[in-house]
Amino acid sequence: MAAPLVKAVLGSSDLTLSVRSAVLRFPGFTQVRWSRYSPEFRDPQIDKDYHRKPWAELTEEEKFERELRKTQPIKAARSANTSSVFEDPVISKFTNMMMKGGNKVLARSLMTQTLEAVKRKQFKKFHAASSEEQATIERNPYTIFHQALKNCEPVIGLAPILKGGRFYQVPVPLSDRRRRFLAMKWMITECREKKHRRTLMPEKLSQELLQAFHNQGPVVKRKHDMHKMAEANRALAHYRWW
Amino acid sequence: MTGAPRQPRAEERRNDLGPKASPGGSTHRVRGRGPAMRVQGSGEEGTAATRLLRFPGSTADPSRLSRGGRRGSGLAETGERRRERRGAKAGETKGSSGRPFHFFKSVGTMLKGVTRLVSRVHKLDPGHFLRLGTQAPQSLAAHLDNQVSFESPRAISCTSENDPAKHEEKHEGQHYNLPLQDMKTIFPHGLPPRYAMQMKTFNEACLMVRKPALELLHYLKNTNFAHPAVRYVLYGEKGTGKTLSLCHIIHFCAKQDWLILHIPDAHLWVKDCRDLLQSSYNKQRFDQPLEASVWLKNFKTTNERFLNQIKIQEKYVWNKRESIEKGSSLGEVVEQGITRVRNATDAVGIVLKELKRQSSLGIFHLLVAVDGVNALWGRTTLKREDKSPIAAEELALIHNLRKMVKNDWNGGAIVMTLSQTGSLFKPRKAYLPQELLGKEGFDALDPFIPILVGNYNPKEFESCIQYYLENSWLQHEKAHTEEGKKELLFLSNGNPGQLERLCAYL
Repeated sequence: MAAPLVKAVLGSSDLTLSVRSAVLRFPGFTQVRWSRYSPEFRDPQIDKDYHRKPWAELTEEEKFERELRKTQPIKAARSANTSSVFEDPVISKFTNMMMKGGNKVLARSLMTQTLEAVKRKQFKKFHAASSEEQATIERNPYTIFHQALKNCEPVIGLAPILKGGRFYQVPVPLSDRRRRFLAMKWMITECREKKHRRTLMPEKLSQELLQAFHNQGPVVKRKHDMHKMAEANRALAHYRWW
Repeated sequence: MTGAPRQPRAEERRNDLGPKASPGGSTHRVRGRGPAMRVQGSGEEGTAATRLLRFPGSTADPSRLSRGGRRGSGLAETGERRRERRGAKAGETKGSSGRPFHFFKSVGTMLKGVTRLVSRVHKLDPGHFLRLGTQAPQSLAAHLDNQVSFESPRAISCTSENDPAKHEEKHEGQHYNLPLQDMKTIFPHGLPPRYAMQMKTFNEACLMVRKPALELLHYLKNTNFAHPAVRYVLYGEKGTGKTLSLCHIIHFCAKQDWLILHIPDAHLWVKDCRDLLQSSYNKQRFDQPLEASVWLKNFKTTNERFLNQIKIQEKYVWNKRESIEKGSSLGEVVEQGITRVRNATDAVGIVLKELKRQSSLGIFHLLVAVDGVNALWGRTTLKREDKSPIAAEELALIHNLRKMVKNDWNGGAIVMTLSQTGSLFKPRKAYLPQELLGKEGFDALDPFIPILVGNYNPKEFESCIQYYLENSWLQHEKAHTEEGKKELLFLSNGNPGQLERLCAYL
């Protein structure tokens, strides 16, 4: 997505102007992606409820906001963002990360098949379980997906820092966005590379998601490894200057 | 009955129903209310009492009573209505004129009634309406007509009438249960793969009763077995439910003790065949041993009991050493076909010939059910060793099946389905008989009774969604709301196949 890095992630509808001159120059952030839109363009408001609110119920600020939007140019909405009630930004991001060669149709169908596979597996477990256990079995594939990714997010990361001619792996705090990205990236890489060639992606992915949901499996193990490395290199923390 | 409901009271009620009730005005909160109502009935007398105290004798808002009783708004209201029918209690007002102060004055008299009421409510369970649904006692039916909002969801989407012979117009849109044991015998093959997955997931097999199937059932019930077999063709766009309607018919005929000759998908016989043998019976034709033996195995599972009763009327010679005498049972022919795979195709041919010959004798009624009948007159993707294409009539199985589908025999019926899904060299949008069968096929099948199978109408759609909700198949929180349902309707356009695929990942 061609947008400055400082903007908020995952399709949240904040309305801060992306004025380039107001970008803060952090050492950690360099602006690598430039937007074709000039700074006065506003983000499109996809939320249906925003538009359906009757005029009488708006506060003064909201009324001002609406009036302002009438005069300012608005960017085109992305074709993948819908105003559907079933839309989930995390799922969309994951689908985009799974996509290869721009084949969104395939990526989306894999995602839906994965969710269906997770659901069917959980239903099977549900019917096999006794009535006490049935209350503990989660059958909603979306909650499982979100929880699994949350369980895979590392708390602290490592950055290679050049000091004295050598690169040291220094423990470094990660932003929310970076953590979510790492969780999804690890999940997808694990499924693509470490599994048998002939297993299909929905099958692999549903298995990994269910394992991560229960805090088991290779992706959570990788997160723990990352934490252990960070703990081991604790002494190098001073090399970080931001 | 009552005047316009008071807005504040309606708000109160919505807030009262707990976290699952959305203030956005959606009253379709059946799932959310179910467990809450059961909990209420099982003895939280305090909350039930206060709830009733707030709206004594108030019936459901007319504004919320729109088409179709899908608001399972609960047993508290049923109890209320029953109380009304028994006669208004002191201090109870019907409807709009009640003010908070009046409630508290008559608390004493009301509480007595409420405790009695709650114990009655406790006895009612959702199954109560299921049992009532088919018998429809007069008073309750009259009330149901007026206040549809308290029908339980099971009464709308499911019916207890599990015998297809008794299905009528009133069951339209409702699901009926097929016992899983029957499914194994009647449908060893022939169910659509997604439906089989659904059966496995839900641990139950439910089919919706729809108009095309009801029409066909009516015709079949009035068949005259002395006349030549009538041909019925189910046609429609992709995903509308032709195969499942056929399954409904097959279930009916199996229950009526007909002999079922079910070819699950004729397209499978005209493509992807690894081993084609030159037929020993006729040098110009080709045998398909694998397909034929698989079909014979499934045929045996379905029609076990008939195989010993039917005796063949001719001697058949398999090869120099083996032959089968006149008067031996059909079961032996089938066994021969299953064990000697080389002769399977010929065994199938014999079975079809004998059944056709003997169906007019009246020992059994014969149902020929072919799914994807347009394969019989289409092209094949099979080739000879010299890469020249094989026409459909050069396959022995297809040749025999064509003879079976001709209406020169009596004592049964022929029900067929057209299908573009597995078809070869046909455009995706084609669904009409003329387009799929071609000139040759149409002339061969002419005259036939065409039955169009269409998308869900609003009632059927609602029933389908209810069924999914009951089985907790729709797990997404937004799927329970009106917005979600409208979106599902829009995305699927009422197409049953599409709806099923959509709901699978929601």
